[in-house]
Amino acid sequence: MSVHLPSHHPQPQQFSDRLMLAVAGIGLLPLLLVALVAVLALTEPRFLGAVNLLNILRTASVLAVVASGQMLVLIVGGFDLSVGAVVALSSTVGATAMAGVAASGASPALAVTAGCAAGLGAGAVVGLVNGLCVAVLKVSPFMVTLGTMSAASGVALLLTNGIPVYGLPDGFVSGFGRAVWLGLPSALVVSVVLLGAVAVMQRHTLAGPALRAVGGNLQAARVSGVAVRGWTVAAYVGCAVLASLTGLLLTARIGSGQASLGGLNMTMESIATAVIAGVSLRGGAGRVEMVALGAVFLAVISNAMNLSRVDSKAQLVVLGVILIAAVALDELGKRRRVRV
Amino acid sequence: MSDQLSLRGMIPHLALPLALAVMLAGFSAVEPRSLSAGNLLNVLEQSSYLIVFTLAQTVVLLTRGFDLSVGMAASAVSVAAALAAVSFGGGAGVAVALLLAGGIGLVNGAVVALLRVNPFVATLGMLNICLGLSSTLSGGRPVTGVPDGLTTLFYSGAVLGVPAPVLIAALCTGGLALLLHRTVFGRSLYLTGGNPRAAEVAGVRVRLTLIGAYTLCALLAGLGAVMLTARTGSGEPSLGGSLTLESIAAAVIGGVSLRGGAGGVTGAVLGAVFVTALSNGMNLTRVDGNVQMIVLGVVVVAAVALDRFRGSR
Repeated sequence: MSVHLPSHHPQPQQFSDRLMLAVAGIGLLPLLLVALVAVLALTEPRFLGAVNLLNILRTASVLAVVASGQMLVLIVGGFDLSVGAVVALSSTVGATAMAGVAASGASPALAVTAGCAAGLGAGAVVGLVNGLCVAVLKVSPFMVTLGTMSAASGVALLLTNGIPVYGLPDGFVSGFGRAVWLGLPSALVVSVVLLGAVAVMQRHTLAGPALRAVGGNLQAARVSGVAVRGWTVAAYVGCAVLASLTGLLLTARIGSGQASLGGLNMTMESIATAVIAGVSLRGGAGRVEMVALGAVFLAVISNAMNLSRVDSKAQLVVLGVILIAAVALDELGKRRRVRV
Repeated sequence: MSDQLSLRGMIPHLALPLALAVMLAGFSAVEPRSLSAGNLLNVLEQSSYLIVFTLAQTVVLLTRGFDLSVGMAASAVSVAAALAAVSFGGGAGVAVALLLAGGIGLVNGAVVALLRVNPFVATLGMLNICLGLSSTLSGGRPVTGVPDGLTTLFYSGAVLGVPAPVLIAALCTGGLALLLHRTVFGRSLYLTGGNPRAAEVAGVRVRLTLIGAYTLCALLAGLGAVMLTARTGSGEPSLGGSLTLESIAAAVIGGVSLRGGAGGVTGAVLGAVFVTALSNGMNLTRVDGNVQMIVLGVVVVAAVALDRFRGSR
């Protein structure tokens, strides 16, 4: 069949169109990440050092867990400004409970269990309040989580007066937080397990499609029998629990509970990570694998800037530009695809 | 305007003054000084800064937008204006402030309107850029030596006994009220926020309106930054810390809708006075600063929940 037939497929005419289609197929982020790593590996000998790579992954893993929680909330069409404050809350509440139980002479195992339960519980309560206000009272997620952010960081500061909480059991700090498992920092291992759990939940349980349905089209979801309120609350609680776990991981690593952990900065970074990873701010879309990649991407960029001694203030500017550019490209790509 | 005449339209205008009165009465029961003329004047003067920032935020909220960068833009403007004022005099300081603020607003508006980037992300990016800018320019330290002329004009001066900040806030309030209700641009803001597609069909130049809204917002924030710079007599890189969230909280407490197209100048001003009076009252009654954060958080959530409840009836 060597007869030349006019194709009935709409052929992309220009190189730029073909490029856009290719990018749309794989996604821009993995391509950018590969290019970035390649350039860094060629130009900066220290970049590929084992210590440096582990450092990047450890930074990325903390961000990835918080951002994956943020993703759950973004998927249902919400927002969570309180994640940074929840990190601080779980750290201070968890450490206070742990140190208190340990000081009363109970076994370290009991102290660690009580502390973790207290930290997770405090975080989950914030998530529950967020979820109920959004789902039942129908308050704008932005305002609810702005309020709970203020309240949660107030409680964290009130509890500690801004002073780090020491006296954590040794097993929690050196046995867990600073431990090395399989040659990797424990926080990295735990984070990968958590991200894996979210991925399994998204792909193999009802939660994935249900959350997407709530965020994608509320009316349709309701009509087709999705428990809209329940899933919305679940997304906020899930987000807060992931943030609390991050708080406990950080507490174990630094060996004290601190109200200065997390903060608005972490919230903003988590939103930036999710957005760069293609999680839609209009809800209904987002994959945890991409969020993990987004976190690695940001960590690599920040590491590269540190290695090449870019001023930390200029780094903020770069992060801002990347954030806007990522969303602008995404929007332009969508418009392009519609046209093609 | 028309919905202000119906009873339902009146409720938001009555609820907040009532809440303000109850709150003041409560504080005065605990601490009699809080109702003294001196303190009330003090609250009014303190409010004037937040009023200007809340008006700025309101302009953007009306278009169903957001400006997370107002606080950090204020920091950057404060530092840049102080640097210019120290070297070239107060006039240059104000000029630099307005130019920089206008530039920030134009970029925000262009990114939102032309690139169609979500306002939250666009202004979050700008927040980072402004943070980097202000700390680079200042090196993290306050810029001191602002000329006295600037301080007199924007802070310590008075006309007929009315302090300059109050006067400026009043002028901004009046000006914005006229702009919103008597000009095509003002009506376009409401239409764009209420229903962008319908506005487009009705011949509103939506993109231009959005660019104008973000620019006006940044210009007002720039003016606020100059006022705060004059108050401390220095350019402060840490000026804007909580201003963004406070301005959004004040506007929403004042009945400006986050869903766009609803709310006005009166509510915004009352919201700003309410937030300032709350913090002033808690200071006087010696409420712990951390508890104050919790109270503000609860008030914000309650205000929005009430607003939502009103809306659903």
